[in-house]
Parts: sequence; structure tokens; C-alpha cells
Amino acid sequence: MSGLAVDDAAWASAWRRRAPGDKVLLCGGLVVTALVLPAWPGSVLVAVVAVVLALGPARVPAATFARAVRWPLAFVAVGALTAVVEVGSGGIGWAPDAAARAGSLVGHALAGGAAVLLLATTTPMSDLLPALRRARVPAAVVEVSSVVYRLLFVLLDSLRAVREAQAARMGYSSLRRSHRSSGALAAAVLTRSWDRARRMQAGLAGRGMETGLRVLPEVLPSSRLFLAATAAGLAAIVTTSAVLT
Amino acid sequence: MHIAEGFLPAGHAAAWTVAAAPFVVHGARAVVKEVRENPDSTLLLGAAGAFTFVLSAIKLPSVTGSSSHPTGTGPGAVLFRPPVMALLGTVVLLFQALLLAHGGLTTLGANAFAFAVVGPWAGYGAYRLARGAGAGLLPAVFAAVALADLATYVTTSVQLALAFPDAESGVAGALLKFLGVFALTQIPLAIGEGLLGVLLFRALTTNARPELERLGILAPAPTPTGGSA
Repeated sequence: MSGLAVDDAAWASAWRRRAPGDKVLLCGGLVVTALVLPAWPGSVLVAVVAVVLALGPARVPAATFARAVRWPLAFVAVGALTAVVEVGSGGIGWAPDAAARAGSLVGHALAGGAAVLLLATTTPMSDLLPALRRARVPAAVVEVSSVVYRLLFVLLDSLRAVREAQAARMGYSSLRRSHRSSGALAAAVLTRSWDRARRMQAGLAGRGMETGLRVLPEVLPSSRLFLAATAAGLAAIVTTSAVLT
Repeated sequence: MHIAEGFLPAGHAAAWTVAAAPFVVHGARAVVKEVRENPDSTLLLGAAGAFTFVLSAIKLPSVTGSSSHPTGTGPGAVLFRPPVMALLGTVVLLFQALLLAHGGLTTLGANAFAFAVVGPWAGYGAYRLARGAGAGLLPAVFAAVALADLATYVTTSVQLALAFPDAESGVAGALLKFLGVFALTQIPLAIGEGLLGVLLFRALTTNARPELERLGILAPAPTPTGGSA
């Protein structure tokens, strides 16, 4: 248990052994389809396909998937409501086509969100980062990103441990104390991150590795069947949407 | 709050990606150069990115009793300068999109522009201005962190207003709406994040003075043996 439910789901997913490139193609295709097709029926189809694939063949726990949608949902609800309220000379009111516009916004956002989540819950970041290297992102940038990925779980653990200790010492019993504790918490996490980085560097230098941690990326073979199904599925969504509109 | 996946129309998403790209590429160049000159900075930069991610997971006590999360780019802008933050901020946004479902991939450009470009530059600008006007470290940090937070949300409001202009009052009316919802409510949280920044830097000056001196935030303290200060 690493502490981030989406990351846990990605490692445990039945699609974990599929080639990251295949999954990026499928989810990227779904994201683009969700963005460019009209909300009805395009976004609805994309959302249904993404959720069915995640909960079905990829075996992502439904609770994880549902919980992960909560954050974007708050933004989507507030943003869509604000977008369809009209400010005019007569004060504040609903825009003429408020319901349709809000529905379209929510539909696009939910479909896109589900497609991104399908990628997130089936592919760990450490599989995606080597793919960035193949997309000609400089090696130094990919390496810094992989250090971010490796360190953030350590820091989240520190964060939790320090916060628990502070709470046990009444560190959050009043607003004033909460502020002090939050500041001390941030400082403790930052100094720990520096300390970790320094110790990792010393450990690597001691082993003669001066340019960070080199690991052999796992080779996950691409599946022709998966790619053909992706192309056929996306084409089916586009044609169905064109026929129904 | 970052703009969710699929929320911006395709044209806007593409335009903001193009707008953010030069800053992120410039940041990437700065990082590549830094790593080539000091190979051991890979881990320090990684630590800075992980810290920015984790900082946005700290619950901020707010006056209304609810709690919110800091944006986390302000302290980074002061510590590591805005070009580096443009890249680290974008990496953090990518991680937030793929680990927390917070933000999105097609909206990554727009979010990067607000969170990793405008926020850090506004914060760093405020920091330099305050230090130039003779303010101490802590007031300057407060200004930097609070402004970086607020500037991020003002930019998000502008992006949303451009994408969804009001039917009657146009972009200006829409901007008013979105600023009211996303920026006005953010003012107490920006002040809270500013205070957090002050407490963070106060703790750092006692616990991590050598690091702050190395980053050029504090002048080296004169030592009894005669330092170079």
C-alpha cells in the first residue's frame, strides 16, 4: 500500500503487463474523442467505454475509480454552474440554454476524466516515464521526474508520520497551533527531502554511478490484437456518434 | 483547483498548451544545463518536485473552519527560481493528473500556464520587489507565496472567462463571475498559504541555514574565523 489509491490500482491492475504504448494510444484516443465529439452521444459513449474497460477487463476496483472522480467532480460542478449563470443589466440569471450547456460541459469533462483515469489506474508512472524518453523529452528531465515519483511516496509517509505526532501532541487543537504545526510540518518535509536526496546521491556516488539511478526498463510487448481493437472501438464510437447526431 | 480534463474546448486547450510551451522548454533547458554542470542536482531537483507535490497535500487551516490545500509553487519559486519551477510545476501537474485525477492531460497546458508559469513568476517578482524595497526575508516570502497562490487562480479565472464568455456581458462579465467564484474565495486561502510560507522559512532559517545560504536566499553568516561575507 503506497498511500495513493490510483497508484495502488495501477500496480494491481490486470492490464499492468500490457505495453504502456498500447494503453497510451487507447486512452489518448478516448481523450481526444471525448474532446472533439458532441457531448451527446460522443462523450456518453466514451465515458461508458472507459468505465466498462476499467472495471471489466482491467479489473480496477470500482470504489477506487469512484473515489478518484470526486476531486475533478467538485471543480466540474462549480465551473459548469458558473459558466451558465448570466450576469446582465437585469442582475444574475440563468443563460437561455443553461441546462444544455451545463450538460455538455459536464459530459465532456466526465468522459475525458474517465479516459485519463483508465490510463492512470492501469499504468504506473514508472512505466510511462521511459515512454517520455522515447518521445524525445531530454534524459535529464525524465530522470528528475522519476526521482520525483520515487521520492514523493517517502515524503507522503513523512508527512503522515509528522502530522500524526503533531496531532497527538495537541498540535492542531486551535487555529493558532494549526498554523504553527502546518509550517513546521512543511519545513520538516522539505529538510527531510533534501536529506534523502543527499544520502541517495552519496550512496550512488559510492557505487560509481554519478548520473543518477539507471534502471533497466521492463520490456512489455505490444499486442496487435489490442491495437486493432483500439482502432476498431474508436472508429465505432465516432461512427455511432455521427449516426445519432 | 486545476481545470479538469475535457473542460476547456479543444481550441483553447491547444492555444494554452502553445502559450505554456516556451516557458516549460526554457525550464527544461535550465534543468538540463544544471544537471550537466552538477550531476548531483538531479536528486535535489527531484526532491524539490516531490516537495511541491506533497506541499499541495498539506491541509491548510482556514478561518472559516473548512480546510484547503496550498498551491505549493510559491516557496519553490523563491528557493529555485521561476524557470526551474516552470518545469517542476508541469511535472507535478502531470503527476497530479495521473495519480490524483486532479487536473487533466488536454488541460495540462492551461494549468501549467497558471500554476507553473504565472504563479511562480508573480511570486518571485513580488519577492524581488519586496527585498529590493528593503523588506526582510519573511515579509518578502509572505508576499511571494500569497501572490503566487492568488495569481494562479486569477489566471485560471481568465482562462475560464475566455473559454466561456457571458451571453450578455461577454468576456468581461464572465471574468467577473469566475473571479468571484475562484479568486475572491481564494484571498483568505492565499493569506493562509502566505503565513504557511513564513512559518516554513522561519523553520528553515533555524534548521536548514546552510541550504538557504547555498541557494542564495540568505547572506552567509559571518563566522568567528572570518567568512567571505
